[in-house]
Order: sequence, then C-alpha cells, then structure tokens
Amino acid sequence: MITEKHKSIISSSVLVALITTLLMNFFNYEIPTFLWILDGVLVGGAFVWYTLSQNLLFYVLKRTTEAFFVLLVIATLTFTLLRVMPGGPFDQEKALPPEVKANIEAKYNLNAPILRQYTDYIFGIFKGDLGESYKYLGRDVSTIIVETLPVSFQLGMYALLVSFLIGIPLGLFAASRHNSLWDNSAMFMAVSGVSLPSFLIAPILIIIFCFWLDWLPPAFWDGPEYYILPSLILGIRPAAVIARLTRASVLEVIRSDYIRTAKAKGLPHRVVLYRHVLKNSLIPVLTFSGPLAAGILSGSFIIELIFAIPGMGKHLIQSVTNRDYPLILGLTLLFSAMLVFANLIVDLLYSYFDPRIKLS
Amino acid sequence: MKAINILSIILAVFLSMGCTKKKKGDYDLDPKETFVVNITSEPPSLDWNKSTDTTSALIQDNIMEGLLEYNFDDPDLGLKGSLAKNWSPNEDATKWTFELKKDVKWIDGIEVTAQQFADGWERLLNPLTASEYSYFLYSIKNAREYNQGKIKDFSEVGIKVTGPHSLEVTLVGPQSYFPYLLTHHSTYPIRKDVIKKHGDKWTDPENIVTNGPFRLKVWDHDKAIILERNEIYYGEKPKFKNILAYMIPEMSTAINLFDKGQIDAQLVLPSTELPVLKKRAEHLESGILSLYYFGFNVKKKPMDNPLVRKAISHAINRNEVTKMMAGGQIPLTSWVPPGMFGYEAEIGTSFDIEKANKLLDDAGFKDRSKLPTITLGFNTNENHQRIAENIQSQLKKNLGINVELKNEEWKVYLNTIKMDPPHIFRMGWLADYPDPDNFLNLMTSYSDNNHTQWGNKDFDELIEKAAKELDKGKRKEYYSTAQKILTEIDVPVAPVFSSVVHSLVSKRVKNFPNNSMNRYEFKGIELK
Repeated sequence: MITEKHKSIISSSVLVALITTLLMNFFNYEIPTFLWILDGVLVGGAFVWYTLSQNLLFYVLKRTTEAFFVLLVIATLTFTLLRVMPGGPFDQEKALPPEVKANIEAKYNLNAPILRQYTDYIFGIFKGDLGESYKYLGRDVSTIIVETLPVSFQLGMYALLVSFLIGIPLGLFAASRHNSLWDNSAMFMAVSGVSLPSFLIAPILIIIFCFWLDWLPPAFWDGPEYYILPSLILGIRPAAVIARLTRASVLEVIRSDYIRTAKAKGLPHRVVLYRHVLKNSLIPVLTFSGPLAAGILSGSFIIELIFAIPGMGKHLIQSVTNRDYPLILGLTLLFSAMLVFANLIVDLLYSYFDPRIKLS
Repeated sequence: MKAINILSIILAVFLSMGCTKKKKGDYDLDPKETFVVNITSEPPSLDWNKSTDTTSALIQDNIMEGLLEYNFDDPDLGLKGSLAKNWSPNEDATKWTFELKKDVKWIDGIEVTAQQFADGWERLLNPLTASEYSYFLYSIKNAREYNQGKIKDFSEVGIKVTGPHSLEVTLVGPQSYFPYLLTHHSTYPIRKDVIKKHGDKWTDPENIVTNGPFRLKVWDHDKAIILERNEIYYGEKPKFKNILAYMIPEMSTAINLFDKGQIDAQLVLPSTELPVLKKRAEHLESGILSLYYFGFNVKKKPMDNPLVRKAISHAINRNEVTKMMAGGQIPLTSWVPPGMFGYEAEIGTSFDIEKANKLLDDAGFKDRSKLPTITLGFNTNENHQRIAENIQSQLKKNLGINVELKNEEWKVYLNTIKMDPPHIFRMGWLADYPDPDNFLNLMTSYSDNNHTQWGNKDFDELIEKAAKELDKGKRKEYYSTAQKILTEIDVPVAPVFSSVVHSLVSKRVKNFPNNSMNRYEFKGIELK
C-alpha cells in the first residue's frame, strides 16, 4: 500500500530533478545526456510506479487506446478540412501556367485520388514519416518540429513556472486575507493580468527594461538575460487565471468541516493553510493546467514574433496561411497528442492529490 | 530525514555534472567586418531553380552570379555582363549567343562552364524538378514541350553548348526582352555533381557550391544566415568579411534592434509609422516597378458596361489615396509604372467628377438607385483595408454609388477572384523583369493572371507584336496603344498607384544598393 511518505519522497525527487535541469537549462549550462535520461527515468518511473501501485494500468491502457483513436479522427478531420478549405498550397499572386501546376501536383502526389492521398498520409504517419513541407523545400516536417519545438518547450516551461510561482501564492494570499484591501489589490492585479493582452504588455516592458533601464535585450533567445522578458510576459496571463482559481477554491475549502476541526485542534494558522487547505484547493488549478501546458509548450505565436524567438508558434499559424498541408497536419497532430497526454497526466494527478477521486 | 538525504544526493550529482557552459548564441563575428541585415523570414529554399520568393532571392543573389545583371547606373535599366563576357542576337533576335568569362571559379576551385548553365536550365525545365519558374524559359524552342513531358530528349530543346565557354540559345520566335530573364536566379548555373551527391540537402552550408562574391557559412533555421566573403571570387572582392542576415518577422522588433545598433539595415518599414520614420536620417526610399490596381469583373452586371467602369475609374482621385497612405506612392492611371521603358504618365482616366457622373448617366443609371450595391473585394490586410475604405467613400461622395467591402484571407481571396470575382477586386503586380511586356502580358485574354474575364483581340495582337519587335520606337508605340485600350477605352482595370519601398540603413553603411528592382546585392557596400 502506498503511504504518504512514499508519495512525498517520490514527488520531491522528481521535482528536484526537474527543477535542477530547468535551472541548468536557464543558465545555459550544457545538460549531460545521462541527466536527461535520469529525468526521463524518474518522471517515467514515478508515472509507472504510481499507475501500478494504484492498479491503474488498465485505466492508463484504456486511455492510451482512446487517445490513439482520437488522434486518428483528428488526422482525418484535419485532412478533410484542408481539402475543403478554399485556396491551395501553390496558389499565389502570380498565377502559374497549368503545365507548371501539373508538374508540382505530380511531385507532391496532389493529383492522386483523394482517398489514395489520405491512405498514403495515414500509413506515412505509422511509419513515422510526416512528409515534406511544401513551403520549406527539402525540409521534413519532423525536422522542423525537432528544430523548433525545443525552443518553444523551453520558453513554455519557464512561463509555466512563472505562472505557478506567481499564481498560486497570490491566490492563497488573497484568500487568506479575504475581503481586505490586500485581497482586493491582488485580485485587481489578477484581473489586469487576464485582460491585458501580451502584445500590449510586451512593448511596454521592452521600452522600460530594454531602453530606459537598458537591463535586458529586446529580442532573440540566446541566454538567461534573453529568457526573462518573454517567459514573464507569457506567464502573466495564466498566472492571473491561476490566482483567481486558487483564491476561489481556497475560500471554499477554508469553510469546510475538516478545516474547522484542524483549527479547533489548535493548529497554527500557517500549518492549516499550507498543509490542509492548499493541497485540497489545487484540483481546479490542476484541471486548468492540462490544456494550459499543452497550449503554452507548443509555442506562442505572439511572444515568439515580438521577441524573434525561433520556436514552433510561428509555424502553427503560418503553415495555415501557406496551406502547407503536411506541416499543418504534423503540427495539429503533435498539438493534439500533447493535449491528450497532458489531460491524462492531470487525471492521474487528481487521484494523487485527492485520494477520494477514484479512476477506473 | 531519508527523503532529504536522497534529495541532496541527487542535487549534488546534478550540480557536479553541469559545469560546462554552452557557448552563447551570438556568432562571434567581428562587428567591424560584419554587415547585419534583417531578411524578415526564413528563406523557403536556397535552391535557385526552385525558390520563388524574395527572401531566398536576396541570399541567392549574394552567393551566386548568372549570365547577366542589371546596370542600375543606366536610367533605362539596361543590362551588363555578369558571367557573360559578351552576348548578341542574330538578325531577327531568334538566336542568342553568349560567351562566358574565362577563369571564373566555383568556391571548390572548379571552373564555371557553359555546360553548367545548360545543366541548370535543363533542371529548371525538367518536369520532375517541378519548378514554379520553369515557364520563364518557355520562349526557348521546345522548352515548354520539355517541361510538359511531351519531349523527353533535352537535345531537342533550343539550348546548345557550343564550346566550354559558349552557349547558343534558339527561341520560339523573336523576343526582345529575353536577355532580361537571364538576370533571374532561376537561370543561374548549377553543379549537377553536387546536387547528385547530396540530393535535397545540397543547399546546406557544408554541401553548397557557389560562384558569387559571398559563400554560405551558417544557416541557422528560423534564426539567421551568415555569408562569408568568397576569397576566390573573380571580380572585385567585397570590402568586408561577413553578412549576418537575421530572420526577424516583426518590424517593430527589428526597429528596436536597429535603434540598439544591432542591425545595420531593416528593409521594410511599418506603413503606419512611416510619417515618423521618414524623418530619420537613416531613412532611404526607392520607387519599385510595381502596380496596385483594381480590376472589374466585366461579366458581372453592371460592370459589363464599359461606361460604368470608366465612370468609376474617373471618379477615383488617386492623389487622395496616396496622400492618405503617406508612403510616397506614385499615383498612376497608366498600366506601365514609372521608372520603366514605356511609361507615359498621361495615359489613362484622369480624376474628373463631372465626366464620371455624365458617363454613369449615359450608362442608363441616371437614377442611381437602379444600380445594385457594388462589391469591392480585397485580401485581409491593414493597408488594403485603408485603401478600400477610401475608394468606398470616394465613390459614394463623387458618384453617389454604394460600395460594399468584402475581405477574405489571402488564399481564399485568390480562389475567389479565380472562380467568381466580385464587381471590383484589388490586385497587384511586381516586375519580374523591367519590360512593359511583363505588365501588359498579364491582361491578355489567355493570361492566367487576368481575372477580369475581359479579352480583346486587338490588345492581344499588339502585345505579341511588341514582344517580337526589336525597334524601340515601334515597341513604344504598340505599348502606348495597348495601354490606351486597357485604361481608356475598355477599362477592365483601374490602376491606382506604384509603390515605394522604405528602409532604415545605418549611417555606417556606404553604397547601400537601393534600386527599382528591389535587388539587394551587398558586394559593393563599405562599412565605417
């Protein structure tokens, strides 16, 4: 049987390993391969151990099978929508003579019957071949992903960290001083964070930190000083949402019977708040984190644009403008897979944080 | 306690491992020897037979040379030899011979030969290459048939290597502007051996073999390209060592970096900030051979009536549009833009409200309520929106007609104007080669770029005759008549303006190439 002690050892080692890696990455230290492997083993191991110890193997297998079919449906839908969408990949201002167009269509297999194109594509995926971009000649979709995803992932991780590190304490702080001036100002900040778009915050912060104070560079992704502004700006909005979620949830938990019991037992306010209230208040935040992580880790178009960061966000948007079918399909599938996977993790974490939740 | 022990061990292991610092992202180039330019986006391909965009062309034009190049010192925009020592047509301009300079070497030391040009053109025309620019060479005998796959044997195509340094090209018919095509990157020579050896990866820095003033050193996808001086370049070597070309899509970001001194040249500026930026000392501008126009769908009532089209064209005050845009655009009523042979400012419909109203009355719409609501289409874009709104209000004010605006995403829009264009639609054209043929050709009845559904046999004939004519005076006459048919008599189109490009170039850069073909060859630059 799994005990609280096991749980805390495992979760702390995974956390420490990940945070160390993240810190090293942030300060531009070369991360040795075996450290990556250790990270993988720890995370994967914890995942497997938890699944097995909770008898969730069947559940996870079921969810994975479901995910497979979900992805298949998404691939099919995207494929169909792309063909229905007006305008093709090789339409351009200067119209091409029909024979030139025919050569291009032959090269990219676009003249084959649509069903054939579909089956070719699906079998390609099974073989791990996402095809070649129509726009970036000679570059495979998988190469583009391998080159740009790590950058977006890195930016996304920092932003996630920022959003949790600001959001949760802020929410907790506001709730613990319910209806005071502190609460109101914290929530005012949160509402501003949600409502101010990043394309407004970014230029303002750039003017302040890059031109007036001259502390940080205005663009690129070359080292710690370059990471600060984009991560902060990308993290602000989710931080605000998390703060509001945490506050609402804490206020609800704080009024429950077991908290009253804890207080009646004479436990100090701080212990009650951190040990009993916080942990049980994180369920709504967790629900929000799944889609948030998938969205933020796959790249932010606006932040990457403003800071000239060579990430994947740009491709997510521009591939559609270019009607770059293979790239759109590849990125959509990747994004969907990340979303499905993030949600599975979140579901497992539900039962981890709150043993009353039973997965089956 | 146990937990804490385990944690500290892990932490210690991690920290002891992580002592090597990654090298920083900058490229360690001597700033005094490096010209930094923003090329805005990732070049889709450096394969000069295949690429079609201006970003790729910018890099290619700095690492490669072809037969001929523009002579920007010539007001008529003539040509001069690049790798060709001399070139000449036969009497009726159906056969052109080119003699190459000798002792020109590729960066791997192999000599440039005529065969490499023929190889490049074969590859451009080969249906398997599927090049979008293959039609550039359709004026060569049997080239189109080879590209269509009807002819399999390339020796039947009118391209003959007559010696290690001489080339003979036979055309389908006389074509006065043929040499212009040979300035284009799609016609540069290739190294078949290199392409065969590396396949699609031949344009990677470690594989590519070029012959221009610079060579490709680093290609950091989605981030930057570094070009380095080619030390065995045959001509005058560049006076600086590196070009660092960043790919920064957002203009305001690039301008920030320019202000920080991290970029020497930003080649496009945001139109809404032009009034401020134009006042800066680093600002440069250059008219480019381009055309912004509105087309009419002549099959859609009431646009089937030439009087209505003429009335609309007369009712547009082009000056008002260019003033509003404040980008230095040149108002245009003729089809051929200024800066090019064949441009005649007075051709076309001048702004005349009285005449416009009379024309519309004569067309049977004295009662304006009889006119249906006119749809004006454009692709979604801030500038096009501003122009469309201006035209909308002008037509309401000057003619009393109601115009409804309809914008669509670019590719959807392209599809719309191909399948069922609205009454009025926005389009543009940028010169491929500085000859009126490139502009007038697109309005022939058989052109894939003519979306107006209009066709006029006399017009078609004039364009064909002019292309074959070698006498400049006669050509000009033909083009003049053709333009009058197009913009004064039948009026399937209403030209509005010709564009100007704006850039910011640091004061430390001398001899920045600023020309009407938007061609950025940096070999002549000097850095302070």
